[in-house]
Amino acid sequence: MLFEIDINDRTRKVQVEKVGATGPDGGRFRVLIDGELAAVDARKTDLGLSLVFEDGQSVDVALTDRPGGEWFVQLPHADVTASVDARRFQRGEGGGGAKSGVQRLKAPMPGRVVRVLVKPGDEVAHRQGVVVVEAMKMENELGAPKAGRVKEVAVTEGQSVEAGRLLVVIE
Amino acid sequence: MKVLIANRGEIAVRVMRACKELGYGTVAVYSDCDRNAMHVRMADEAFHIGASPASESYLRIDKIIDVAKRSGATLVHPGYGFLAENEDFGQACVDAGLTFVGPTPHVISLMGSKTAARQAAIAAGVPVVPGTEEPFGDDVSDDEIVATAASIGYPLVVKAVAGGGGKGMRTVATPADLLPAIRTARSEAGSAFGDSAVYLERRIIKPRHIEIQLLGDHHGTVVPFVERECSIQRRHQKVVEESPSLALTPETRKAMAECAAMVARSVGYTNAGTIEFLLDESGQFYFLEMNTRLQVEHPVTEQVTGTDLVHWQLRIALGEKLTIDPVQALTPQCHAIECRIYAEDPDRGFMPSPGLVRALSTPSGPGIRDDRGVAGGFEIPVFYDSMIAKLVVWGDTRLDAVARLRRALDEYRVVGVKTTTPFFQWLTAQPDFLASRFDTTYLDQLLKERQGLVFAEADAADERAATVAVALMSFFRAHRAVTGSATDRAKAGVWRQTALRDGMRN
Repeated sequence: MLFEIDINDRTRKVQVEKVGATGPDGGRFRVLIDGELAAVDARKTDLGLSLVFEDGQSVDVALTDRPGGEWFVQLPHADVTASVDARRFQRGEGGGGAKSGVQRLKAPMPGRVVRVLVKPGDEVAHRQGVVVVEAMKMENELGAPKAGRVKEVAVTEGQSVEAGRLLVVIE
Repeated sequence: MKVLIANRGEIAVRVMRACKELGYGTVAVYSDCDRNAMHVRMADEAFHIGASPASESYLRIDKIIDVAKRSGATLVHPGYGFLAENEDFGQACVDAGLTFVGPTPHVISLMGSKTAARQAAIAAGVPVVPGTEEPFGDDVSDDEIVATAASIGYPLVVKAVAGGGGKGMRTVATPADLLPAIRTARSEAGSAFGDSAVYLERRIIKPRHIEIQLLGDHHGTVVPFVERECSIQRRHQKVVEESPSLALTPETRKAMAECAAMVARSVGYTNAGTIEFLLDESGQFYFLEMNTRLQVEHPVTEQVTGTDLVHWQLRIALGEKLTIDPVQALTPQCHAIECRIYAEDPDRGFMPSPGLVRALSTPSGPGIRDDRGVAGGFEIPVFYDSMIAKLVVWGDTRLDAVARLRRALDEYRVVGVKTTTPFFQWLTAQPDFLASRFDTTYLDQLLKERQGLVFAEADAADERAATVAVALMSFFRAHRAVTGSATDRAKAGVWRQTALRDGMRN
C-alpha cells in the first residue's frame, strides 16, 4: 500500500508491506521510504506504536490523529507533524495539504485576533509571524506553517475566533 | 475531620495527599470545565461551584464558604493563587467558624502591601534595596538630590513614582549623569503620567532570586529552611527552582535565614510563608517581598530537608507546636531541582497549547517526584494557568540531579498536547546552566539570542521513525476499514470522533 507522507516540508513516497502474518497488535513490516528499505517490528501501545528497526533502533512513538489526515507525532526528543495524502488516506476528511502545497493556519485555541501582520499576495518565510491572537491573557504570535505566498486572510483584527477557526491560507 | 481544598490542579492534588496521609477527609470544589479533573476524581467529596471562568467559581468566596458548611469541613486550605493571599477570604473563613490553613487575615493584608512589607523588614533590621524613602518633589534642590544619591550608592536607577513600562526610568552609572537623568525622567513621567515625582533606588547588578521558606506556629516558634534558588525566570515567571543555591556560602545561608525569621517574628507570622531576597554579585542580599502562602516550588525544600510542609501547615493550623530541628532545617541533605511542565509550545514563543491529553506516561524510579494535576483523558482548559505538572528530582550533587532530570524529562510523555519538555532538555544542556552561572536576566537574554530557533529539531532518525509510524497507522486503519470486523470498524469510528474533537481544539 502506497502513501505520500509530508514531514518538515518534504514529501516521501512510502510503501508498506506485511512480512508474514501480522496480529491485531502489529507485526513485522517492510517499509520503503522513497525506495529506501526500513524493516521494522511495530506493536501498538497505549501511546501509539513501539518500533524496533532491523538495525536495532528502538523508538517509542506517541501518535495523535487530527482532522485532515494530520498526525501529531511525539518522539522521545522531538515533536513532528505529519500529513498523509488524502487520495490514499481512506477517510472522508479533506486533507491533501501536503500534495497541493497549501497550508491552512488555524487558531490553536479560542481567543481574539489582535493583529493581522500579512495581506493576500505577501511572501512569507517559514515561522514568520502572520497573526497575533490573544488568549489566556497573553498575546501569541502565530507563525506561517511553511514558506510561501499568502493566498487568503480569513479573519480581521478584533475578531473573536473559536479553536480550529481558519486564519490564513498559505500556498 | 474534613478539609476543604479551595483550589484545583496539581496543588489541590498535593494538599489532598497530605490530608489523606493524616487521616482527614477531603472536599473538592470544581467549575464547569473541571468536572473530570484529577482533583475531583481524587477527593472524597466534590461540589460544583460555578462556571469555568475563575471569577465565577474558584474566586467566589461565598460559594466556597457555603460548600464548607454543607460538607461539614472544618479546615480550609487555599493552595496558591486564586484566594490564597486574599485577606477577605481568610476573614470569611474565620467569620464562618472555619480554620483557615494560613496566616491571619491581618498579616496577609500587611505583607501584601509592598511598602508596608518593606517597612516591616526595615523595622526588623533586615536589609532592603537601598533607596529614597520619600519621592523627590519638584521643590527638592539639586544639592539635596546629589547628596541622597551618594548615600544610596551607584549605579542607581531613577524611577517615576507613577511609572510603568520603563517610562520615566533611567539608569545612572556615575554622579555626573545624575542630574540630567533626573530631568529626563521627570519630564518623561510628567508627560506620560501627569506626575513628575521620582525616587532613587540602587541598581542591583545581575541579581539572583533567592528565597527562604519558613514555618511559624501559634506558640512563637519560627523555623526557616534551606534557601531556594529561583533565578531561572522567563518574563519574571519562575521556570526552574532548585535547592540549595550554589551561590550561597553556609554563612550567607545562615544570615539570610535569620533575616527571614526576624521579619516573620516581627509580624507574628503563622503557618507557611516565604521571604524573597535579591542576592548581588558581592554576596549582599536584600529583602524583596513576602509570600503569605505555600509556594509552587515548595517540593524542592521538602526533598532537600526531608520535611512535609503541607503536613505541617495542617498541624500548625490545628494548634500543634513545631518540633522541627532548626539545624536540620538549614542543612541540605541532597540537591533538588523542579521544573514546571506547562501545556505550552516552546517553539511558538511559549504559546499556550490547551487540549485533550490523550494519554500520559510519566517518569518513575529513584529520585523522582511528579506533582501533577492532569490525568490522561483530561482536556486542559483555557481558563486557568496551563501547568500540567511539577517534575521534581534529587540527587547527591547538583550535577547528579541535572542528569536525573534529563532522564526523567525523556520519560515524560504527555500525548496529544505540546509541552515545555523540549525546552527543558535544551536548557539543562546549556554550559552556564550546568555551571550555575546565571542571574534573573539569564534566561530572557539567552532566549533572545536564539531568535526563535526550534528547541528540539527532528533528526534523520526521528523523521524515519515518524514516517514509518504514520504510514503504519494509516495502513492499519485502511486495512481495518476494508477487512476488519464490525467491532474494529466501530472502534475506528469512536477513535475518529475523539480525534476530530481533539483536532478541533488544537
